Amino acid sequence: MTLLEFSRGTMLHIALIVFVFGVLWRLVTTFMLGWRKRKSEWRTSAGQSAVKGAIAVGNRSWPHPEFLNRTAFGEAVGYGYHIGLFAIVLLGAPHVVFWKNLFGINASWWPTIPSGIISVVSVVTIFLLLIATIRRYMPPPLRRISNFDDWFTLVILFTLMITGVMAVFGIGGRYELILAAHIIAFNVLLIWFPFSKLMHAFYILPARFFIGYTHAKKGAST
Amino acid sequence: MSTSNRKERPTIGQIMDENGVGRRRFLKYCAGITALMAMPPGMTAAFAQQLRAARRPTVIYMPFQECTGCLESLTRSFAPSLESLIFETISLDYNHTLQAAAGHAAEEARHEAMKEAWGEYILICDGSIPTKLDGIYGASAGHSFVDQLHEAAEGAAAIVAVGVCASYGGVGAAYPNPTGAVGVSDIIKNKPIINVPGCPPIPEVMTGTLVSFLASGVPELDKHLRPKAFFGNTIHDRCYRRRFYDTGLFAESFDDEGARNGWCLYKLGCRGPTTYNACATIKWNGGTSWPVESGHGCLGCSEPDFWDQGGFYEPVTSKLFNDTGQIAGAAAAGVAVGAAAALAANRRKKKLSGQVDKETSS
Amino acid sequence: MNTATQTYSGKAAPEDRLSPSEREERAMAEFAHHFGAYTATNLESCIHCGMCADACHYYIATEDPKYTPILKAEPFKQAYRRESGAFAPFFKLFGLKKKVTTEQLEEWQELLFDSCSQCGRCSLICPMGIEVAEMIEIGRRGMAAAGLAPKPLMDRAKHQAETGQPEESDRPYSEVLQDIARDHDLNVALDKDKADILLCLPRTDLEQNPESVAAMIKIFNKLGVSYTFRSDALIAENYGYYAGSRGLQKRITKRITDAAKKLGAKLVIVPECGHAYTALRWQAAEILGEELPFRVRHVTEFLAEQLEAGKLKLSKVNGESFAFHDPCQLVRKGGIMDAPRQLMDAMGVNLLEMHNKKGFSFCCGGGGGVNDLDSARELRSRAQQLKLREIDDTGAKRFLTSCSDCRVSFNEAGEHYDWNKKTESLIELVATQIKE
Ligand code: SF4
Ligand code: SF4
Ligand code: SF4
Ligand code: SF4
Repeated sequence: MTLLEFSRGTMLHIALIVFVFGVLWRLVTTFMLGWRKRKSEWRTSAGQSAVKGAIAVGNRSWPHPEFLNRTAFGEAVGYGYHIGLFAIVLLGAPHVVFWKNLFGINASWWPTIPSGIISVVSVVTIFLLLIATIRRYMPPPLRRISNFDDWFTLVILFTLMITGVMAVFGIGGRYELILAAHIIAFNVLLIWFPFSKLMHAFYILPARFFIGYTHAKKGAST
Repeated sequence: MSTSNRKERPTIGQIMDENGVGRRRFLKYCAGITALMAMPPGMTAAFAQQLRAARRPTVIYMPFQECTGCLESLTRSFAPSLESLIFETISLDYNHTLQAAAGHAAEEARHEAMKEAWGEYILICDGSIPTKLDGIYGASAGHSFVDQLHEAAEGAAAIVAVGVCASYGGVGAAYPNPTGAVGVSDIIKNKPIINVPGCPPIPEVMTGTLVSFLASGVPELDKHLRPKAFFGNTIHDRCYRRRFYDTGLFAESFDDEGARNGWCLYKLGCRGPTTYNACATIKWNGGTSWPVESGHGCLGCSEPDFWDQGGFYEPVTSKLFNDTGQIAGAAAAGVAVGAAAALAANRRKKKLSGQVDKETSS
Repeated sequence: MNTATQTYSGKAAPEDRLSPSEREERAMAEFAHHFGAYTATNLESCIHCGMCADACHYYIATEDPKYTPILKAEPFKQAYRRESGAFAPFFKLFGLKKKVTTEQLEEWQELLFDSCSQCGRCSLICPMGIEVAEMIEIGRRGMAAAGLAPKPLMDRAKHQAETGQPEESDRPYSEVLQDIARDHDLNVALDKDKADILLCLPRTDLEQNPESVAAMIKIFNKLGVSYTFRSDALIAENYGYYAGSRGLQKRITKRITDAAKKLGAKLVIVPECGHAYTALRWQAAEILGEELPFRVRHVTEFLAEQLEAGKLKLSKVNGESFAFHDPCQLVRKGGIMDAPRQLMDAMGVNLLEMHNKKGFSFCCGGGGGVNDLDSARELRSRAQQLKLREIDDTGAKRFLTSCSDCRVSFNEAGEHYDWNKKTESLIELVATQIKE
């Protein structure tokens, strides 16, 4: 079995199993830890609050202008690499092909971006990730609250990005090995996902919803 | 290679002279070969000289579990070039398929040839070697292929495995590999082995490899024992459709506009990116065309295990596992374990918070 | 050096004789009480982006990373990860999350009390939507349970739970109230047996701002509503909330809710005190575990309603410009966005808004009990400087707010920085502008 075969065969399979298992484990536990019934007299009905909660899920992505003078740079970098990652992962042709194959769907509507542009986006994204990494070290609050989870996740992301770019530009070794390394990095990401901060991809929805919902009930700011 | 009590074989140069091949023509041929092998032009003269000085070798060609495609490919390519002469020159002292003799006579001829050039002959193999049940799946003249290979390899100076079957097992080794087919290098460990994989290999690559072996011994090989000179680049690296890949223009089906416009075949399963072979440069049928040029993606036929890399029309990153409900099982297990963890946590919560006043719950 | 009481070097050593392990157990018990799906979602979500620091006035004023809000919630988070989260058994087994120790809690005392006014600004900035302030509040509750809440807060909370007032005073506060009424020629309804509305007062106003108290009496008299103050439920502040003690907070809350029930009151009015509002409006029902048979309104909310109903008539002030500080507990966390502005509007106040207004207003620097901690004085005044600058930047001549605790903070800051403004009460202004 070649490395590439292993990476997109056995290992991918195991990674997906771990991912699905771990993510559900963590989420199910979280949501089964019990709900408290609140008894105060609310300013806003539950229905309306739920609507506001749903709005908050989207709204929180838009930073409050009051904070921007302090957070604009960090927001921009964070936004930048998130958008970059999403563009690459969801619109890069090889990735689209990968997803379609993985989910067994045809989805001829799924658009792709020319790989020239993806390459530029990738390089920019790596650069932004680099800034994000430096930022994790430079501003004292960030350094203070950063832990292994943050650093290791960054390591995986860098490996993924760099092997991806290497594969595209054909540098650093034989293509099938680089490709295998790229897919292995992705598998590691899948395996690490449920146990790490990457879970924020899921938690962001309920967390934002709850703050929107509970604050709406009190009429408080969100 | 002691040759003391054997009759001297003519050198290639002598044979060329006998056949009236002028030096210039020979040199031109050598220039062609060295160019194919991407050797610097200055090397041609030295190469030619070495080749001329080489003695006409004894070649034993042994077919195992094969389809004769490789030999077809090899023999198809010669006329009217000098290569045919070279090919004749290197002379197949034994080839089951080509020779007139058959049965016991043929076996005898082979043993004769082997004995005569023991320790010096070149063994060319095509076809995989079935190993299951003591190799019972493949035999001739009462001996299994495994045994025959061992015997023939014993006296060989070097082995050239021609085709992906002899190299890595090939189609015969495809899942579930009922015969336990393997390549030569899986069995023979103590001889220099050169793999010339492909299904079939490009004829020029086969002759080029042989000639360069004659001229200068075992060429530089990659980790799959392929001559780097021919297998140093991926199809994708040299593909003329590459610019479409780079700009993101892909054929989505074999009859769409993209296919007609000659766009990249990646999405249709082209294995060019992970396949090392010379098709994109040497091409086929004397440089007429090659698979991608004729509109079909590369199948990866020069790669180990190419036969088990998912559907040929699925992309090179496609998943290679067969999920028979394991992922769904993992989901169910995740929910179950998650629920159990929550119940345990809630019990722990009750225990831990036991001492704080009970009426207030939050 | 083997008990926490001995090792404890904090500014306010606890008097109890609990052993470290007892403290840890109690903190854990309190934390466990707060485990649940809602807190879990909050605790699981943090991406360590550090942005919450940029919302907190204590961090902004000092740029000291230890004031990063989510860091303040660490003990609770740690307890959760170890005991309640999905992978808790592994965290425990492999020691990935250590037990919350007494030393750690002691270290966190400053972070949880001195440097968090419970203003809730951090909850607004978090891109994940984490209720950071609430997680910190739970941290405080654990501290209180462990007997590690700052002594000044704990002592007052106990005193208030026992006697109804946070500290000994020369005279009972009900007498002070009567004196103020007398001094201002006002009749005050005190200790009536039946009334529609129960009023209470900040003790700070009783002690320091008699004008404010008089304003309340004057306004409610003028409105002609059926109200009363009660000697047994006069003080609005809830030191149990400041100290983080659920038990004491509950006892203190019960004084007011019981009195209101006995009165048959339909409405309890919270005076100009933000934390009293949070404690009564949003936490009373939760902590008592029952729905309250009356409504709770802040005085500005109530007056804005009266204004709308045409029952309150206000005359215009002269054209002087005002700045207004939105008290965190009332506005950002309490949801009273418009009431104060409606009142100011009605009085023709020329309001010059601050850069950070309404829900985004910076804290006065002294809420959440911070005002009561001497140890927090320096940090507090650095944070206050931020706020004063913002107020000055509006160019307003006068400065209003509607929380007595904020007023205490601004007065202190004003003195410290020789500020050219006096902090005025919105209610006092209403009282002076109320039409005869
Ligand atoms: S057709 Fe195949 S080899 Fe050619 S560029 Fe596309 S993927 Fe590469
Ligand atoms: S294009 Fe690919 S599959 Fe076709 S012959 Fe060449 S290597 Fe083999
Ligand atoms: S609630 Fe206010 S004071 Fe406390 S951490 Fe958050 S921003 Fe800072
Ligand atoms: S802003 Fe929110 S996500 Fe970011 S560090 Fe603070 S609590 Fe965590």
